[in-house]
Amino acid sequence: MDRNRNNGTKDIRLVARGVNRMPFGKFLYLLVPWLIILAIGMYAIFLCLAKGLNQTNMDNRFAFGVWIFLDLSIIALGAGAFFTGFLVYILKREELRAVLNSAVVIGFICYSGAILVLMVDVGQPLRAWFTFWHPNIHSMLTEVTFCITCYLVVLSVEYAPIVLRNKKLKEVPAFLAMQYELHRIMPVLAGVGTFLSFFHQGSLGGLFGVLQGHPFAFREGLAIWPTTFFLFIISAAAAGPSFILLTTWIASRVSRKRLVSDNVFALLARISGSLLVVYVMLKSIDTLTWLNRTVPSLGLSGIGFFLWAPFNIWILFAEIIVFGLVPSLFLLFGSGRLRTGWLVASSVMVCCGIVLNRFVMTIQTLSLPTMSFDRFMIYTPSWQEIAAFLFVVAYGVIIYSLSFRYLRLFPQEIEMKVN
Amino acid sequence: MLPWVYGFTWQTGNIIFLSIFYSVVAVILGSFSIAAIRAFRDLKPDRLDEIRWHFDFESLPEFAKVCRHAFTGEVNQRVCRNGFDCRTCKVHSKITGVPRITKSVYSEGEIPFGLKISANCLYHRGHTWVRVESDGTLTLGLDKLAEGLVWSQCEADLPAVGTRLHVNGTGWYFRKEASRARVLSPVDGEVIAVGGRKEGFYLKVNPGNDSDLRHLLKGLEVGPWMTSEVERLEMALGASDGAVSLADGGVLLDNIAANYPEQGWEDILALMLLES
Repeated sequence: MDRNRNNGTKDIRLVARGVNRMPFGKFLYLLVPWLIILAIGMYAIFLCLAKGLNQTNMDNRFAFGVWIFLDLSIIALGAGAFFTGFLVYILKREELRAVLNSAVVIGFICYSGAILVLMVDVGQPLRAWFTFWHPNIHSMLTEVTFCITCYLVVLSVEYAPIVLRNKKLKEVPAFLAMQYELHRIMPVLAGVGTFLSFFHQGSLGGLFGVLQGHPFAFREGLAIWPTTFFLFIISAAAAGPSFILLTTWIASRVSRKRLVSDNVFALLARISGSLLVVYVMLKSIDTLTWLNRTVPSLGLSGIGFFLWAPFNIWILFAEIIVFGLVPSLFLLFGSGRLRTGWLVASSVMVCCGIVLNRFVMTIQTLSLPTMSFDRFMIYTPSWQEIAAFLFVVAYGVIIYSLSFRYLRLFPQEIEMKVN
Repeated sequence: MLPWVYGFTWQTGNIIFLSIFYSVVAVILGSFSIAAIRAFRDLKPDRLDEIRWHFDFESLPEFAKVCRHAFTGEVNQRVCRNGFDCRTCKVHSKITGVPRITKSVYSEGEIPFGLKISANCLYHRGHTWVRVESDGTLTLGLDKLAEGLVWSQCEADLPAVGTRLHVNGTGWYFRKEASRARVLSPVDGEVIAVGGRKEGFYLKVNPGNDSDLRHLLKGLEVGPWMTSEVERLEMALGASDGAVSLADGGVLLDNIAANYPEQGWEDILALMLLES
């Protein structure tokens, strides 16, 4: 059977016109492993919600476990949604429309996944509204909660017209009209999304301005905003386009189709590279300031934090040089010259760098001793924590696969057939 | 931090935060409400047709949106951004005002791929033709390429006499079992008679006072456009990750759809009739 044609595809009536998708049976077969992971993760989440956090290996010392690390990481990687929307609707970079729908789906997956994990971490989901009704006025995370919730609503509204544009759904007149009108308000939503993203990405970094009990992560800055407030915004804006580039490439490889033109890859690389250069520069200044002023003012030695294996000085070198400076130069100066494979490899490094940064700011921060009687601690997540983590990954893969199959995520796909 | 919470104080920080938060919530809810109200108002057949065409045109690949003046060499590689409506296109009005210089490979009336093109017909990009009758009425039909895609067993679902048609709105449908394909109306006007495949036309339309047909292709434009459409059809029928072979000769089969039974009939016809 010719796999490139939609014959044998039982759900052909739902597949967009002009594109070819694998047979429905094969699609289901490929989803089975992810569905199994999803089921195991669901059981783990049930255990955590029913029995409490004793199902995890977190404790009073390790209050930031793998979940918070995951949260910070996927929210940073999901920044591609707001940044692409900002570039298309506000700065009018029309070339990026080719990946805009995909970016929205990825943003939706990342933010809904993050909120899902937060729900398990915080517990008592039926009382989630307490956060809004009785907010903790002393917590930066209140602003984060407000912003993330609002932004998830924005992403849902942005995702809705993509879903309603499905070949079958748009035959319903009300859906057709609604998706058209939702499209018309997209510039407003893109502006709101950008505003919210800037603040919640920043507020996640702002947390470290009050973390005085952990000098490894504590940062000073301007008024109530520590330097990490700005670094989190810039790093997320830099990683977002790289993650979009990477996911587009993966979708292209898995489906064995060209989905966007090379100049879209090049533009994403250039944007990501430019922002990453700025980030690396500011991060270097921040690190030097922290080493030479912040930590000494607390009566400690900055280098002393890097003497604890396995988190030696290599982690700082890897974060700033290997996964920061090197890919930024590749992306910035190689976007017009290098082959797509190099850009993809550089994007992988950028994403690793951001994930490593979030790891350092959470797990490593809590591992290091802060008091003279403290000792270095290693935290190993329980299977429930890992299963809940993988649940979000599987959830993302399934939602993206379904969206790719039934929705028009890449408008250039038909054109790419002939190029 | 919120006014209803115990311990709330009217401090500057709280007021700023609340103002921003409620402004954002108001913008989101307000925008969504406006969209919902507008969508409700859009639920009229004419408006829905406009919206449908807006998305259909937007979804067309760039190579299917080539400007008519690029077919004749009057402009170089221009893509239409005006929904194929030359009546409101500034570029069209400028170009038609200057003498023609053409590099079209087809002379007027020449037939590419064995497709018959009538010299006294005007052609719409949705594969319909329009013939202006001596009494001022318009006769509408389907061109040979689209006729070849429509299966013989399928039924034409034609509008009733008296129905008002709009350019790029719904003209009529072809239905076969649960599938259907929409044919775009090439003109504005009121349906005064209906025909069918046997009659050689599908509709007769009275355009009234506004019979502006500037958006329809004619003369030297038709040959190159038809050639590009045959290429588009070959791409739709071809494999996705292999190179598409574009033959530059030969004659199209009379009943193309019947010769490609494994293809989704509805999809191929819809794509050629500019439906996304």
